[in-house]
Amino acid sequence: MTRLWRILRLIWSADPWAMSRGAALTVVVLIMGAALLGLSGWFITATGLAGVAGIGIAFDVFRPSAGVRFLALGRAVARYGERLLTHDATLRALAALRITLMQRLELWPMEALRRLRGASALTRITADVDALDGVALRLALPVAAAVITHAVAFVMLSWLVALPVAASIAVGYLVGGGLVLIRVALRTLEPSTRAEAAMQALRRGAIGLFRGQREAILQGVVPDWRARLDAEEAAARAAQDHLDRIDTGAGMALSVLVALITALVLGISGPLIAAGQIDAAEAAIGVFVALALAETVLPLRRGVAELGRMRDAAERVLADRPTGAEPVAAAVRKPAPDAAKGLELIDVSLAHPGRSMPMIRGLSLSVAPGEMLAISGASGAGKSTLLDAIAAVTPVAAGEIRCLGVPLGQWPEPELREHLALLPQRSALLAGSVRDNLEIARPGLSDAEAEEVLRAVALHRVVEMRGGLAAPLGEGGAGLSGGESRRLALARTLLRRPEILLLDEPTEGLDSETARAVVAGIRRFLPQSVIVAATHRAAEAEVADTRLDLKKYIPDL
Amino acid sequence: MPAKPSARDLITDSPKRLLRQSSLWALVSGGLWPLQAGLIAWTVAQWAAGELGPAAWAAAAGFAVLGALRAASDRISARRAFAAADEVIATQRRIFLDREPLRIDRSRSSADLAALLSEKLAMLAPYISRYTPAMSRVRVIPLLFIACTFYVSWIAALILLVAGPLIPVFMALVGMAAKEASEKQMAQIGDMNALLIDRIAALPDIRLLNAADRSRADFADRAEGLRKRTMAVLRVAFLSSTVLELFAAIGVAMVAVYIGFSLLGEVTIGAWATPLTLGEGIFILLLAPEFFQPLRDLASAWHDKASADAVSDELRALAEETRAPVLGLGAVAPRLSGPAELRFDGVSVNRGGACRALPDLRIAAGESVAIRGPSGVGKSTLLDLAAGLLRPDSGTILVAGQPLTDETADAWRARVAFVPQSVHVPDITLRDFLDPHGSGADLDAALERARAGAIVAALPQGLETRLGETGAGVSGGEARRLLLARAFLSGAEVILADEPTADLDRATAAQIIAALGDLRAEGRTVVVASHDAGLCAAMDRVIDLEGRA
Repeated sequence: MTRLWRILRLIWSADPWAMSRGAALTVVVLIMGAALLGLSGWFITATGLAGVAGIGIAFDVFRPSAGVRFLALGRAVARYGERLLTHDATLRALAALRITLMQRLELWPMEALRRLRGASALTRITADVDALDGVALRLALPVAAAVITHAVAFVMLSWLVALPVAASIAVGYLVGGGLVLIRVALRTLEPSTRAEAAMQALRRGAIGLFRGQREAILQGVVPDWRARLDAEEAAARAAQDHLDRIDTGAGMALSVLVALITALVLGISGPLIAAGQIDAAEAAIGVFVALALAETVLPLRRGVAELGRMRDAAERVLADRPTGAEPVAAAVRKPAPDAAKGLELIDVSLAHPGRSMPMIRGLSLSVAPGEMLAISGASGAGKSTLLDAIAAVTPVAAGEIRCLGVPLGQWPEPELREHLALLPQRSALLAGSVRDNLEIARPGLSDAEAEEVLRAVALHRVVEMRGGLAAPLGEGGAGLSGGESRRLALARTLLRRPEILLLDEPTEGLDSETARAVVAGIRRFLPQSVIVAATHRAAEAEVADTRLDLKKYIPDL
Repeated sequence: MPAKPSARDLITDSPKRLLRQSSLWALVSGGLWPLQAGLIAWTVAQWAAGELGPAAWAAAAGFAVLGALRAASDRISARRAFAAADEVIATQRRIFLDREPLRIDRSRSSADLAALLSEKLAMLAPYISRYTPAMSRVRVIPLLFIACTFYVSWIAALILLVAGPLIPVFMALVGMAAKEASEKQMAQIGDMNALLIDRIAALPDIRLLNAADRSRADFADRAEGLRKRTMAVLRVAFLSSTVLELFAAIGVAMVAVYIGFSLLGEVTIGAWATPLTLGEGIFILLLAPEFFQPLRDLASAWHDKASADAVSDELRALAEETRAPVLGLGAVAPRLSGPAELRFDGVSVNRGGACRALPDLRIAAGESVAIRGPSGVGKSTLLDLAAGLLRPDSGTILVAGQPLTDETADAWRARVAFVPQSVHVPDITLRDFLDPHGSGADLDAALERARAGAIVAALPQGLETRLGETGAGVSGGEARRLLLARAFLSGAEVILADEPTADLDRATAAQIIAALGDLRAEGRTVVVASHDAGLCAAMDRVIDLEGRA
């Protein structure tokens, strides 16, 4: 529950001024509603009494009837203001929370990010955040307002009517209503958790199925997926039905409570009138207020029934980032790079992340600006790991890597990325246009520059055929072939114009003619950069100034 | 005149029946209120008359009993309405899941579709369980209360009669704005989900490109857009219910003032009993707010209808998309009998708006063929057609001597192992990935033949490892070899491989070529799309796709 408290503070702090005004109006609405009915009941009864007594002319009808009109209109307006303020502030807070969650995700260790399932991170930012909208709107605010309203009603009723009437109403609602709602909270905790979990599982499952659709069809497992989705759906439906049963049951209990409290007030008022403590008009206030205060408890059950769902969502939203390697480039101060120094590796040893096998030992090399180094080695020899280490994605086991004369540890990550770019072996494109995919690397990209880079990676004709830079791509860049996607990802990396360019199998999936053209294009596009390419192909090796086979650095087992 | 399509069309007979029952119980509940109001009015009148005997307790008890009956009717009504909503949503979900998993080449993002399936479909619930019953209550309860009021005072009834009908006129105006706002909100939900799933998958790249700030700004745009759209929907909803409350408030206040003046004897017309008695006054005062209540319920549910209409439009648009489903059901089927051969006769296919004719093919059982051609010439399309993932627009494809149709596709795929260019790994263990149907076949032998044994041995959790979505955790070359191992394992007689040597170093590529040769030697049919000269040379035959684009 402390998590829900943190979420409430977070929502409140997004716009405390709007929230406090909204909260104040929430109370005003409830009090005005009770006052309206109370005043109307008193007014009618009092006029009735005056009429019977024949003193109608002397009765001041204008102030009470003006009061009725004021309360009626004021309440409607106050409700509008209250809803607008609290909803707006809450939605602002939730939009900000989504962005914060995204930002926190970006800081995950690279290894965790690469393994991350998009669908689960997505439900965190969408469904879980959505689940939290009720924390203030349906739980904290209405509960607080109900308690305040009952306190005010108690004071007013004991002043205007009589203590027994005020006490019956306050005790009836607070104790009776409280008991019903606590019971709702306890009974719904589990099914509301279950309903949300099943619904999210359904959503994740659907994303998984759609993303791996071809694979599922080819393996003949579509019915299996379907059975899993159906099971999640059935679980969600059963839990929701259970929740609805509790919810409508609580609604019934609360309505009965209202009827009982009103009946009690009706019953005890007679003797009070007989005793001369109150008159019939004052007694009517009690009855009408008792009816009006139903509004304080009836809507609460919805928020209370969401407690389990909210609590779980809060827990996931506030969860810590996964553990993993600390970022390598985590310096705060801007370094003073020297472009002439290029890339230097000094006695570097590497351990493969998460594996027991030893990797590379004692590797020293340097690459000067304008030079290209081709690294070869069998699959799994550590080419990708070495590039990751140079790119400060994973730490080295021993030794030092210097980028532009500055050890990696002395770079702040964003600064380092301005000078060094890595094209990983697997890269994801974005849905949107070809231009969107390029602009993510270079905002405000000019058409000429776009064409230049597409030409460098031998993709300009393909893009032209598809309708130019505005050509749309599907999810994850769907619509391009493997080789085309690869080249677009490469173009995106080239657009960073880094002083040190690291390429992991840049021409994978290309025929050798295209591969040669692409490698030549890269060197033409970035003539002054250090280029390190991990490769098993001739295209890179032929053009490279230096070649390195990792075999020599793999320790004997 | 054909009715405009709306969410109402989604409510079939069975939920309609439930909704009728729900309405009936709601009417029972509504009909009980005049009785309760009568008891209060009588009691207050007794007080005023100085009659303070125990009869008041009997009235109070009656009020409580009627209140309990009313609460019970309300509950039954709500439960029936919930059941109706549940049924409608379940039906729509079933229709969606029957169709979408078999339609590939979507233009919409997976996350967008999943949001439609979960979040947006759920938005039908308030429409069905709140709006529809409110609509049927509006048709009866106000009339009932007008009749009760009229029985006592025709002026009070007239006041209600004037204030009431203005409301639907106003609501119709609000309705149009609400629909538009809801449509925009639905679109924005889809947008945000689509952007998110993409950006989350691309986060490692985005970070390497130092583009996190920009990417987050894009996302912030969407999140902020969703807030604005949602707020626009809420604003319309709040406005409509506020206007209604104002109408109701004015109506009730006028009734109250009229009653006050009548009771004082200043107004002597309008009531059948002259002058109006206190009990009658209280009675119609208690009815007045309840006269407006169904209208207020309807107003607060108005945007539910708008949301539901927007969702149903989206469902309809999706259903009407012309994408053909893949052949078959994507299910396990007994293997298709006949020789493992493949024939294309005059096949052409429309892909990406362009009609592409494919050469006629005759691939005999046990033959190995390389499909060669530059990138983008249609090699992958050909393999998709052969696997029944695409429907040809003209021509016929014969597999195992039979036409490839919905009836034969699953049975044909049971004999086929497809090694795609890029892999999507479901969130399951490597063991389940390699052996999806739990055949218990010899995993180690298959891994060895695909030269993938060392990969699994190096993983800390071995076959129990869960790989990332695009195979993260193993290198590109390793993932490809695992896929090949699966092809070996399944005992498939036809291997369709899209660039199987693309990301393997020369030594491993040579091993893979040899392994494909092994398969061929066992009499399996091997079709590879490739431009790798080494691989092409190892096949019996090479078919060039050049110039056919």
